[in-house]
Amino acid sequence: MNYLLRKLGFYAVACWAALTLNFVIPRLLPGDPVDILLAKLSQRGAVVTPETRAAYATLLGGDTNTPLLSQYWTYLGNIVRGDLGTSISYFPAPVTDVISASMPWTVVLIGLATVIASFLGVLLGAFVGWRPGTWLDSMVPATTLLAAVPYFWLSLVLVYVLSRVLGWFPSQGGYDVVLDPGWNLQFIGSAVYYGFLPALTIVVASVGGWLLGMRNMMVSTLSEDYVLTARAKGLPGRWILRDYAARNAVLPSVAGFAISLAFVVSGSVVTEQVFSYPGIGSRLLAAVTNNDYALMQGVFLFITLAVLGANLVVDLLYTVIDPRTRAR
Amino acid sequence: MPRHMPRPTPRTRTRLTRLLTAGAAAGLLVTVAACSAPDSGSGGDGSTLVAYTGQAGDYQINFNPFSPSDIGSKGLIYEPLFFINKTATGDPKPLLGTEYSWNENGTVLSVTLREGVRWSDGEPFTADDVVFTYQMLLDHKGINGTGFDAAVAKVDDTHVTFTWPEPAFTKGPDVITTVIVPEHLWKDIDPENDVVEKPVGTGAYTLADFKGQAYTVKANPTYWGGEPKVKTVRYLALSGNQAGADAIAAGTVDWQTGPIPDMANTHENFPNYDTGSVAQNQMVLGACADAALGCIGPQTDPAVRQALFYAIDRTQLNKLAFQDTAEEISPTMALTSTQKAEISPSVQPQVAPTTAEPSKADQILTADGWAKGADGIYAKDGQKLSLTVEVVTGWTDYITAIQTIAAQAKAAGIEVNAAQSSWNEWTDKRFKGNFQLAIDSLWQGPAPDPYYLYSYFYDSRMTAKVGEKALGNNYARFADPAVDAALDTLSTLSPQDTAGRQAQFDVIQKAVVDQMPYIPLMTGANTSVWNTAKFSGWPVNGEQYAYPAVWSALDAAEILKTLTPKNAS
Repeated sequence: MNYLLRKLGFYAVACWAALTLNFVIPRLLPGDPVDILLAKLSQRGAVVTPETRAAYATLLGGDTNTPLLSQYWTYLGNIVRGDLGTSISYFPAPVTDVISASMPWTVVLIGLATVIASFLGVLLGAFVGWRPGTWLDSMVPATTLLAAVPYFWLSLVLVYVLSRVLGWFPSQGGYDVVLDPGWNLQFIGSAVYYGFLPALTIVVASVGGWLLGMRNMMVSTLSEDYVLTARAKGLPGRWILRDYAARNAVLPSVAGFAISLAFVVSGSVVTEQVFSYPGIGSRLLAAVTNNDYALMQGVFLFITLAVLGANLVVDLLYTVIDPRTRAR
Repeated sequence: MPRHMPRPTPRTRTRLTRLLTAGAAAGLLVTVAACSAPDSGSGGDGSTLVAYTGQAGDYQINFNPFSPSDIGSKGLIYEPLFFINKTATGDPKPLLGTEYSWNENGTVLSVTLREGVRWSDGEPFTADDVVFTYQMLLDHKGINGTGFDAAVAKVDDTHVTFTWPEPAFTKGPDVITTVIVPEHLWKDIDPENDVVEKPVGTGAYTLADFKGQAYTVKANPTYWGGEPKVKTVRYLALSGNQAGADAIAAGTVDWQTGPIPDMANTHENFPNYDTGSVAQNQMVLGACADAALGCIGPQTDPAVRQALFYAIDRTQLNKLAFQDTAEEISPTMALTSTQKAEISPSVQPQVAPTTAEPSKADQILTADGWAKGADGIYAKDGQKLSLTVEVVTGWTDYITAIQTIAAQAKAAGIEVNAAQSSWNEWTDKRFKGNFQLAIDSLWQGPAPDPYYLYSYFYDSRMTAKVGEKALGNNYARFADPAVDAALDTLSTLSPQDTAGRQAQFDVIQKAVVDQMPYIPLMTGANTSVWNTAKFSGWPVNGEQYAYPAVWSALDAAEILKTLTPKNAS
């Protein structure tokens, strides 16, 4: 119980620190949202005059003049109430609307890709680790190479080959815009079809990490005494692989998986840019380029809470799934 | 293979992350590749036109034409009284208004309205709607972006008047191009914060459906001008210019305004497409010009600005940085295409030289007391003639332009360096005057009249001391009482009084050319790429009935009303 309280206390402090940083960092950025909005408008052919500036300053509420400390209190109070404010770059839409429209896309795409990549990586890693030193080991450098090449480059190559040359997949978008989003087979099929290529790039780029971790854990687990005992008793290799070695070797990967799930929320800005995917990444980019404090804070808040939450869950679960941590 | 991205024109630039800029070279591989991608369903059938306006990231619904985040209600759904074609000299085209006239001294503007127009919900359009719209702007400062300040009154069902206390000829174009909204629906909403999810207008199109990734408008069968032939228009959201160029290569977009690689050979590369462009943006090196207002650096000396002007080889610049799409520029900043008549005959040169003239630069600098040092760079009072140009990271065409200019200026004894920063930082530096030179482009006003550009960029009341934020667009900190007085006089002169106006233009242009706070480079073009296999009637040379940019809402509406599908299969 004491252990639990200590953990929770630590997470409460971490959460407060994250919220504070979330408030401070955007305000250290140069520029002012009204200027940026006007500069953008003038570049899109709108005629910008001092009257325009005055109009938008009125519209967006010139809260740049209120002291920081009172802004900070308002900010904390609003977060508690679940009010994340109004987005400037999508004015007058509330931040919650902007985020809720794009969050599901990111969670589903990156979430599924992460699950597939980790599952595949762990599975392959178990087999490679089962026979260390054979030709199977060549999978390790091959997959880590894929993980090491710049991600956008990899995705552009895949787009070029699979959608431009072969024409198997669409290169952009999240669904066929002719269809109406909804829970019908046609739309879901279209979303899967459009999401395949971005998901594939994530899987290809991240499977190497999982594979390497699992393989190395397998190798060290296989040198344990209990595996030797199992072999001596003449158990079939399948059983040893599955029930003795892999089960124990997968533990660190489980922890890693929970933590990487948290980063799903932050999505992958690059993936979404390359594929024009309607997720949170492009919103985050828009928020940063427009000094849209409210939207930035909203997105970062979600990321922060997801990371902290996932860590907390892993911390608490790990004592359950790995008895060795309780042995202290 | 050149490592440059397709060129982001000033209008369609989206600041890419450094990462993506680096990736663009790889993206180019994708773009210039032969395309055989199937129609992914986003390219429509024969009568659906798919447009890409440069929208980066998903759309957030907003069809409030007065909101800064309006995604496309102007022109197509809500119409103004008149349409002014900035690419030609001619009378405004009547839309909801049929004719307008000024009184003798320019204080009263009378407009006659079109009869028999209906809103798309069937209600009749009347003078009350017009009065309501303008009154709404007066009552809500937050949406009055044009600074409308007249008293509006209804004379009878088809006549309204606008009255100012002072002559206001130059305010006319902004007034007659404001879109009109229906009183019976708008009287109950908050015009500043409502996103108008179901817009009702008088325009040629109505909203068919909205999704984050695309929205579709369909032809309005009861449109007063007759139902347009292009039945549906779909606007896509992609991730930026690179994606737009890819979409053209894949044939999934019919019209976009923005760069694609190898633009000059578009028709050879993609037989279904062609390009159209109009050069209307004066690309300049804006200088922090006035030492009295706090500017620091050699660029505060007009002779230095003049010398740099002559040191540039514009033919080479155009080739290397702008894919040969840019056009000549007059140092007076009046457009040589439509405002040639307003260029003062006493100004020399009438058009910026196309080749470098280092001897001329040398003559100007030497006369001003500069002398070449051992390193071949001029110096004066121990100060080296070294200038830094601010540019936004990722604006590859401008970055190339600075590199080209740096090489050319070096030959003339001037050192030029580029300083890249983020869009936000660059904007901040310009507004506050913490820069030496910044590369950017100037823009036109609501009508083809150089007055507007001068009033935006050269009026000393539109600037501020260095360190304070410039009120208006005069980031060069240019201040000249003679120019201010001439601008004031111009606003009281009737557009018909050409001789009187020219006298004022002469005063302004002399200062503009002698002082040169914005060093003219070239006139930049926005190039549109459009599908000529599916649609005919695009505004090309000789038929320049509108400014051909898909994001220029009022112009795009005129274009879509004019287009004809070639085979409505």
